[in-house]
Parts: sequence; structure tokens; C-alpha cells
Amino acid sequence: MIELKNIEKYYANKGVKSYILRHVTTSIKQGEFISIMGPSGAGKSTLLNILGMLEEPTYGAYEFMGEDVVSLNERKRIELYRNHIGFVFQAYHLIDEMTVAENIEAPLLYKKVSGPERKSRVADVLDRFNMVAKKDLFPNQLSGGQQQLVGIARALVAQPSIILADEPTGNLQSPQALQIMELFKKLNEEENITIIQVTHSEVNAAYGSRILHLLDGVIKEDLAVPQGV
Amino acid sequence: MFRLNLKIALRNLWKYKGYTAINIIGLSIGLAGCLLIFIFLKFQLSFDKSEEKKDRIYRVVSSWIYPEEEFFTSGVPVPLAPAMRNDFSEFEKVAAVRQGGGILKVKNEGGKADLKLKQDIFYVEPQFFEIFKIEWLSGNPEQALSQPNMVTLSEKTAVKYFGSWKNAIGKSILYNNKADYKVTGVFKDFPENSSFPFEVVFSYASFAEKDSKAWGWVTNRSECYVLLKEGLQAADLEKPLKQFITKYYVEKGPAQEKHYFQPLSEVHHDSRFGNFRYKTMPYRELIGLSVIGLFLLITACINFINLATAQAISRSKEVGIRKVMGSRRKQLIWQFLSETALITVISLGFACVLTELGIPKMESLMEANVSFQLFSEPVVFIFMLILILVVSFLAGLYPALVMSGFSPALAIKNKISSANAGGLGLRKILVVAQFAITAVLIIATLVVVRQMGYMREKSLGFDTKAVSIVNIPGDSLSRLKYEGLRERLMQKPGVREISFANAAPVSTDNMTSSFRYDHRADDEKIQLNLKKADEHYLKTFNLPLIAGRGLSKSDTLKEFVVNEQLLKSLGIRNPADAIGKTMNVGGRGGSIVGVVKDFNNLTFKSAISPIAIYSDKRDYNAMAVKIDTKDMVATMKIVETEWNNTFPDHVYEAEFLDDNILGFYRTEQVMGVLFKVFAGVVIFISFIGLFGLVSFIAAQKTREIAIRKVLGASTLELVKMLNRSFLWMVLIANLVAWPLAYIFVSKWLNGFVYRIEISIWPFMIAMVLSVIITLVTVSLRSFKAASTNPIDALKYE
Repeated sequence: MIELKNIEKYYANKGVKSYILRHVTTSIKQGEFISIMGPSGAGKSTLLNILGMLEEPTYGAYEFMGEDVVSLNERKRIELYRNHIGFVFQAYHLIDEMTVAENIEAPLLYKKVSGPERKSRVADVLDRFNMVAKKDLFPNQLSGGQQQLVGIARALVAQPSIILADEPTGNLQSPQALQIMELFKKLNEEENITIIQVTHSEVNAAYGSRILHLLDGVIKEDLAVPQGV
Repeated sequence: MFRLNLKIALRNLWKYKGYTAINIIGLSIGLAGCLLIFIFLKFQLSFDKSEEKKDRIYRVVSSWIYPEEEFFTSGVPVPLAPAMRNDFSEFEKVAAVRQGGGILKVKNEGGKADLKLKQDIFYVEPQFFEIFKIEWLSGNPEQALSQPNMVTLSEKTAVKYFGSWKNAIGKSILYNNKADYKVTGVFKDFPENSSFPFEVVFSYASFAEKDSKAWGWVTNRSECYVLLKEGLQAADLEKPLKQFITKYYVEKGPAQEKHYFQPLSEVHHDSRFGNFRYKTMPYRELIGLSVIGLFLLITACINFINLATAQAISRSKEVGIRKVMGSRRKQLIWQFLSETALITVISLGFACVLTELGIPKMESLMEANVSFQLFSEPVVFIFMLILILVVSFLAGLYPALVMSGFSPALAIKNKISSANAGGLGLRKILVVAQFAITAVLIIATLVVVRQMGYMREKSLGFDTKAVSIVNIPGDSLSRLKYEGLRERLMQKPGVREISFANAAPVSTDNMTSSFRYDHRADDEKIQLNLKKADEHYLKTFNLPLIAGRGLSKSDTLKEFVVNEQLLKSLGIRNPADAIGKTMNVGGRGGSIVGVVKDFNNLTFKSAISPIAIYSDKRDYNAMAVKIDTKDMVATMKIVETEWNNTFPDHVYEAEFLDDNILGFYRTEQVMGVLFKVFAGVVIFISFIGLFGLVSFIAAQKTREIAIRKVLGASTLELVKMLNRSFLWMVLIANLVAWPLAYIFVSKWLNGFVYRIEISIWPFMIAMVLSVIITLVTVSLRSFKAASTNPIDALKYE
């Protein structure tokens, strides 16, 4: 579903190129659960942003479901990620002025989903995440783990085929982090949603099916995680 | 500590250059407007205020009370002054003043041409100079104005006539080619803010009718001033005045005579009476101007408050740290207030520059022959100081209270959000207030401009185009030359028609009289407006007859042509019924031969009067010349040459009727211009403020915008989102503004009998205009915010 060929990303500063990504070539299939790992500054987040079409590579080809993303115009690109990509952030990035239900509803508004269907989908997601009682609360009335659940619910409500998560548990304590990882795993297995996460944690990475190790912008290792460990 | 605070303040201003610029531009324009208005108000309110005995000086004015209406005039009957001097023990001094005018000739000894000029002169009793303090350079009023044929000059006039005032003493001036007047004194010029434009002052003893006993005749050329004895009030005069009126007004007319004692301070401001400067400035207009000034200041302050509270969050950390270090809230409030004061002072500097630039424009607008100076008097500095204090508190207090109230624990952790910074609600209210002020001004401007256009376009009911009103001398010798002049001019190419009359159909020079119609037993209860004109009048002004015929040739009253309004007042339905009926005016009678269609004889502020036109050669003082529209200048040159040949001893003056009519609406025109300018300024201030606020909100919402973008919002959708709340505010503001504007505008229009109907359009235009400007402002800024890369905003918290 995703093909990266020779992706490079650098910033030129006074003639000096500082590379963030070099020669990244890989392919990702539908239904994979990939963890991107590596030390700080290795280019993990940049790679994820490029996958999420939030940043453009300086060089290289990126095909998403058979379409060449680099040559797409903004509207097409927005169209693509509206329909296929859900984002989950380390800092949750919920809109403070909106209630839980409204936050979850937001992506559907931009997809021009009709009112009744929005209602039923939001209700559905709330139910699945056991948050019906909290639907009228504001983000700052929730704990971090709960906020991240809302963040994931928001990513899921648009029924994406892929979820990109940038250190989704980075701000959470371990019991909550485990809960989130279980959730990802379940989604991956039961609904065949592709998940790509950036993480520091070996434990979290172990939930996935494949690990990409980045070091100084280069993929050092591409490991399959032995299943059922 | 103060120096440190100052340094921090300056650094902060520098750091947020954009917002500082918006604040300073808005404030300096607002302050400049206030300064200009203040200078103008100060001048207008200073009239006659420097008189030493101003609290005891009164002008005697007259009125006639008719069943329906009261007529006012600043004039008094000529015998009133001596009678008051005799009957009132309450007066220390009584002085009569009589305005005259004519041709002055000054012999030149240097061999150069004699000076010949038309000049307003005043016959003044010496007592006048005991009431009003004017310094005399030579002579004293006691003697210099004691005998007939004595003249005194103001310093400026003396210099103009004789080169220097010392030179003037003992010289003689020929008045109206009749009598020589000897210069017996020179006084210092009356100040510009005095209601007395006295330049050439004749002794009252020279006034031919000074001993007149005609209590029934009043003209506003005769005025009377009194100085009350010390310790007395105007109220003490009520009883003696009543006795005085019953004693002297023995003849019973349809109207009841009345006199008032008008305080000197009102002479410049009461438009019911007028003054020798022909300019009154009613308090209503002055209040209107002050309100505009206040609006300017408020909009600028609102900008400041909005931006300052929006910016408050970025200052929260500083506040937290200062509090931890032991600063008390009061100290912080003072710190922020002094920052506001600093901005105000900087703005005031720019405002002074703007004011200096604006002053010449204002002088030419006001046509006041005065030079306004910014730094002339200490009172201006006091006003500036007050401005600084008021603006600093008005604009600075609320933001200071908000910022100093941050909890230090939250502030240090950078946890202050817009919710704590308070007043998103208040900010919205302020923006609504600002937009409402803007909308009121837009509506008012549109209505004022449309009414002005209406008055220009509306037909007066006669022809005003290409008619020049030329003065003519009224002495018996000159009267003999009228016919000859007319015949010669009529032969010139370009001259279509000429008529001699006392005034144009529309004029400020109106004479009214009581009258009797068709052998009825009593005088009518209404006043008749009299126009004296020859048989060519109707043709010259293209006044259409609806019944009968025009006047036939006559030098004295024989026939009347009346207007429809008179018939209406008399209850005559069919114009033809009035033809042949007699009318008696002031003891002289004639028959009605024609009826003209109604035409406006007064400004559009008043209704059409009942009018009678008749011939009376002795009262003609104008020659109306209707000319071809092409080559008007050349034709008028020919008229001038012929006129000068005919009346070599007189001074030619001409004015096109159209210009003359425009002159009636000077005040309205000035108001129109002021509205346009200040509405523009307020709109400008509001919208740079809006721009600043949108910038800030956009900056504050970067995270939200980024999240929404990642969720799939397009740039257009984000711009729409940011616009929405502002558009709501604009709409609410317009709804608030409409009733206010309606009240104001209909009040103003009520001053005109002939006026436009208030339509929905100005209101709609104001709304559409403010919506468009808002859309443009908000979209410009929010487009930039919405098209930035969301990653930059979302990276880390």
C-alpha cells in the first residue's frame, strides 16, 4: 500500500546540507503494524510526517495506494488523508474548546458526512471506547490516558485504512500505555488497519509486526517481530 | 526600578512591532482628531470670554409673539436705547450700535490713486467702550465719538488707509460721497474671537435717525448693549421690563412685542438671533463635534484594550516571575499603566505632527479668518496632559488588572491560556461597540451627504443658473440711472434679461409685514413676506404664473403678484378668485394682478412663506442679470465695465446666485465634510484594530488550526471558520447601530422642512460595507494562518 523509494530530506543552511533522512526505501503492506525506532534526532518523526503527507521529501518517490503523492496538489492530498489516514499525537492535540463528542465528530465534518450518520458513528465509537459517560466533558477534564483514547477515537471515526501515531504513549504512565497498545493491536488484528507508530519503547515495539530502526536518517535494520512472544 | 521598567517596556514594544504600530497609528490619529476638535472648540467657546465685565453685559433683543409662532431678531427699535437709559436704574451703562455701510473714499497725499472701497461701518455710542474694554492708541472714546462727523479706526484699518496709525489722526474720509468724517481716534483691533468686527466706527451722533421715535420699526442693524450694575441679576429686570414694554408699545398690532436680555456669552451661540459677524455656532453643533471626538478616542482605546489583553498571555511568565520575586499587584498595575502611558506619549508626539498638518485644512474648511495654533496657550498643554491620563487609564487599566491578576504558579508553568487572560467575552463586546460606532458614522455620513446632494439638486421653483446678483447704489441720483444702465446692458451679447429688485427670490434678506386682504376688518394673523421688484423679475428668474399676469411698469406700489402659499393661508381655493382683489400693506394698497407658482424663498430648513411681489424703486438694491451660460466670465466683465461707467463713485460687487445659495448651507457642508473625514478615520482605526485582533487570534489558534488541518480541513474551510465569529459580531454591531443612527439621523433631518426620506439603503450599505471590510481584513490575515504547515505548530508542546 505504501512504496518509498530513495526518500531524502535535508535542510540547506548557508550551503551546508543537514540531512534528516537519506536513501529511505521501503514498502509497507496493508495490515502491517510497524514501529519506527531510533535515538532522538534520527528522523523518526520526519519519516512519519512524510508518510502522513504533512511534509514533503526533498527527493524520492512516494506512492500511496498506487498514487504518486509528491506530484499531487494540495486538494487531492487532503482528499487522500481525509479518507485513508488517521493521526494520533504524543500530546493528543485535542481542541480545548470542544467536548469529547465534538472532538471526535470534527474529522467527519470535513469529510462532509451527513448529520445523522455523524451522530451514529460518534455514538458507535464512544460506545466502543467506553466513553459514553464522558462525551460532554472537555479535554482538560480528562486524564492523559483518557485524552489519548479520545485522540485515537477521533482518528478511527473516519474509518481510515492506516493510523500514524507519533509516540502515542510518550506522555502516559505505563498501565495506560499498555492499554493503548492493546487497543492498537486489537484494531490491527480485528479490523486490518495498518498502524505505523514512532516509539522509544521496546515494549511498545513488541506489539507490532515489524520494526524499522533509524539511525542518522538511514534505515539500519528492518526486523520482523516474531509473533506470539 | 523605574528605569528598568522603562527599558522592559521599550523592549516589549519593539518585540511586538506590529501590534505597537497598530496601537500607535490608531492612537495618534485618534488623538490628532481630538486635538483638532479641541482647538476648534476652544476658539468657538472663547468668543467674548475675555471681556472684563462679561457677566454683567447683556444685549437687548426683540421678539414678536404671534398666535402660532415667535419671531426673533437681534435688533431693537432705535428709540429703545435712550428710553432704557432713562427708565432703568439697574443699568450702569447703555450703548446703542447701528450698522451701516457704504463707500469710503480716502484721499491719498502721496500722489497715488485715491482709495475707494465698500465698507461696513458702525455708528457707536461712546458708552460702548465703557462696557467693552478696548485699548485706545490715540484719543479716547469720550471725545473721539462725541460729535457728528467723527470717525475712529481700528489699528489695522488705519494702517491700511493711511500707512500708519499715527498718520491717520486728523485726516478725513469721505462717506458715500456726501460727508467728510474726521479721524479722531485709533483703537486696538478687536480680537478675532470677539463678536464685534468693528473696523470703522462713526460717532453715533452722525447717525441721521438717531432721534427716531419709530417704535414699530426694527432692523437687526440696530443693537443695544447694557451693563448691569454690580450685584444685580438678569432676573431683577423682569418687572421693570414689563412696565417698560407697556409704557412704550402703545399701538396694538397682531403680534405682541417682547424683549429679552441676552447674556454676552450667548451672542456667538444663539442662532435665533445672529450677530454682526453673521456667524453663530450653536451649541448643538459643538456637542456633535465633541461626540465625534469622543468616538475617535473610544475606538482607539478599544483597539488598545483588545490588543493588550490578547497579548497578555505572552506576558504571563514575566508577571509570574515578578510576583515570585515579591512584586505586589499594585506595583504591577502601575508598571503596565506606565507602559500604556508611554505608548500614549509617543502617540501624542505623532498626533501633534498630524494636527499641525491638519490645521490649514481646518482653517480653510471653517472659512474663519483665524489662525489656529497648536502650542499657543497653556490650556492646550493641560488638555494634552488630561488626554494622556484619560487614555492611559481608559486603555490601560483593564489590561493591567487582567495581567497583574495572573496566579504566579500557573503563570510560571506557562499554563495561562486565553481563558485565564479573561475577557474573550469583553473583547467581543468591545469589538461590537467599535463596529457599532463605525456603522453609526457610516450611516450618518451617507444621510448627510445625500441630504446635501438633495438640496443641491432640488429645484427651488425658479431658475438659479447663470443669474448674477449685482449690487446697485440706492441714492436718488443713482436711481435715475437704472433704466439707462438696463437698456445699455440689454444690447450686449450674452445678456438675456435684467431685473431690479431688493433681493433674489431666495435670500436671507427678508422683510415681513402685517397686511389686510380685500376689505377685511382686521389685519391677517400671518406675516407677509415682501419682495420688491420691477416688471422683469418674473422673466429673469423664470417664475411661472398660474393665474393673471405679471407686474406692469411702475416705480411705486400699484399691483401685487402673490404666491400660492398666500392664497392657501387666506383660504382661497381658486387662484383666479384672488385676481383683482385689493391688499393693504403698511398703509399702502394695490390690487392683485397675478399668482405665481410656489418657490422656495428661504433655505430648505424653512417652509415657503406667503409672499407678495410689488414694485418700489426706492428699495431696490440689487440688479439680477440673467446671462448666457457660455462665456459667462466675459459677459460679466462687460457688465462690470458698464456698471463702473454708470456709477463711478461706487464699488461693484457681484455674486452668482448659485454660489450665494450654497452659502446658506455652509454649516451643513462643514458638517458633511467633517463627517466624511472622521467617519473615514474611525473606520480606519477600527479596521487596523480588527486586523491586529485577527492576527492575534490567528496566532493563538495556530494549534487548533493545525489540528483541524490534519483532520482534513482545507484552507478555505479554515478561513471561513475564522471569519464566522467576526461576521456575527459585525452583524450584531449593525443591529445595535441601526436604532441609534436612526434617532440621530432623523433628529438632524428634522431641522429641514425639505428633506430626503430616510430609506433602508444607508443602513444596508453600512452593513454591507462593514461586512466586506471585515471579510477582507480577516481573510487576508487568516489565509496566511491557515496556509502554514501544521507540522510547525504540532511538533511539541
